[in-house]
Amino acid sequence: MKRYVLFAIALGFLAIYLFPLYWMYLTAFKPSSETFTYPPTFWPTDPQFNFIQVFVDKKMDVYLWNSLVVAAGTTVIAALIGTGCAYALARVRGVWMDVVLFLILMMQVLPPSLMATPIFVLFNQIGLIATPRFAVILAQTAKVLPLYIVLCRTSFLQIPKELEEAARVDGASRLTAFLRIIVPLARNGILVTSVLIFLQSFGEYVYSRTMISQEDLQTATVGLMNFMGPNTTDWNGIMTYAVIYVTPIVIVFMLLQRKIVSGLTAGALK
Amino acid sequence: MSALLRSLRDGRGFDAALASLALAYLFVFSAFPLIYNIAMSFQEVDMFSLGDLIRPFVGLANYRTLFAAPEFWSIMANTAIFVILCIVFQLAIGFGLALFFQQDFFGASYLRGLFLAAWIIPALVAGAIWKWVFAGDFGVLNYLLISSGLIDDKIFWLSTPAISLYSVIIANVWLGIPFNMILLSVGLAGIPKDMYEAAALDGAGPWGRFWHMTLPMMRSTIGAVVCLGIIFTLQQFDLFASLTQGGPANSSNVAQYWSWQLSFQNYDIATGSAVSVLMLGFVIVVAFLYVRSTRQEYRA
Repeated sequence: MKRYVLFAIALGFLAIYLFPLYWMYLTAFKPSSETFTYPPTFWPTDPQFNFIQVFVDKKMDVYLWNSLVVAAGTTVIAALIGTGCAYALARVRGVWMDVVLFLILMMQVLPPSLMATPIFVLFNQIGLIATPRFAVILAQTAKVLPLYIVLCRTSFLQIPKELEEAARVDGASRLTAFLRIIVPLARNGILVTSVLIFLQSFGEYVYSRTMISQEDLQTATVGLMNFMGPNTTDWNGIMTYAVIYVTPIVIVFMLLQRKIVSGLTAGALK
Repeated sequence: MSALLRSLRDGRGFDAALASLALAYLFVFSAFPLIYNIAMSFQEVDMFSLGDLIRPFVGLANYRTLFAAPEFWSIMANTAIFVILCIVFQLAIGFGLALFFQQDFFGASYLRGLFLAAWIIPALVAGAIWKWVFAGDFGVLNYLLISSGLIDDKIFWLSTPAISLYSVIIANVWLGIPFNMILLSVGLAGIPKDMYEAAALDGAGPWGRFWHMTLPMMRSTIGAVVCLGIIFTLQQFDLFASLTQGGPANSSNVAQYWSWQLSFQNYDIATGSAVSVLMLGFVIVVAFLYVRSTRQEYRA
């Protein structure tokens, strides 16, 4: 009996906590006349489906594509560079590797809004601002690479050393053993970490806002900011935009929830 | 030469090469901008000298301008209030929820994980949602507070100077709760169950067990969560951009947003980089403490 009570209380906490998300979905389905009634309604009396209209009017295909480019580029570069480093950090013990791990952890904490100033000036000088999405990818990769390495390292730590040694006895080089034996074994950890990095970069804002000036190259976050403007009242439209943007992220998260949570906790505290 | 190649292919050189690839990337795109930032804060940087390699050296002039700015101390005070209040409430609520979900009932870990749905959505979208929740005339928060009798008149959450900062704090606490809760749950799971049973046999009540066992056992976890909290709170930019943009009249401005505003809205890059240097220095000190406190576990 006590367990059912606890379960009900837990559902209550969750409902209160996630209420803002419910409010977003609810507003997206309301007609604009109902949005601005007082007292507000908590269930749509006349649900609207403005999704296609907002998607087309606000050129969300362009914005979402740019966000996708930034997120995919960031994830690919982070995975290419970070996987090997995570492996080395898991395999080798010593003062040098402690120093490397320490430096990487320190690079993890730099706030992007504070790094934006030097990175913008630097990229401007070497001409990277001419390819703004690529510039954002490079900056965002520097932001997420330490997290990628720390999270991947924990999955490499779980692979027994003997497996690699057996492959080496059979004549495989270090590189072959790494690519053929170790990486496939750590596949799950690498995938979950990549998804996490991807989702984070899909919502990147500071660097995109700072470095991308052409509207057709801007990301979905910048598009949403433009939409909100200083004196906007089109909250139906904004919440519809938000729903279109956020729903795929929430779905992917729900599917991988358990793995993301366990990966995150292992990496952050251990 | 061939020895080096052999080491790269088959020996310790392989590990070193893999590690140095990532390190080199981070040096070019994180460490170097950091150093460059310090250099810029001692130079005169404006739109004309933006592309120059050599700019006039001005010593501490940028810092003097910064300290003399009328808004400097109020923004620094806002930053301190923002960080402290966010951490206190995230930690308290997160701890409470972690303790609750520690109990044994159906779906506890799954429901706990669902809280992270708020954490995974882009902070800018969270800001958009909260801006609508906070809206003065038609916002749902005002409606709920008035209809439950807690307030008499509508509060203009984002446009009242005395309140705007606290509205951003509410939104940021909301964003930070799940992460705090999950990390604290991990710490709680590490406390042996039989300790509680032994204490219960000895007649310790729930409050005594929490005060004399849980809290002391959680000390290192709480320390790590507070350090991470400071680091993440100082990374918060998107909520300020979407909710108040530091306004009205800098009443909700904090250092990390102000630095960006100075550089990219006032085009005063030199002063922007000076703010940035101060705050990055602070963050690095906190990160140093955090990493040092968890270093033992990293080695294990």
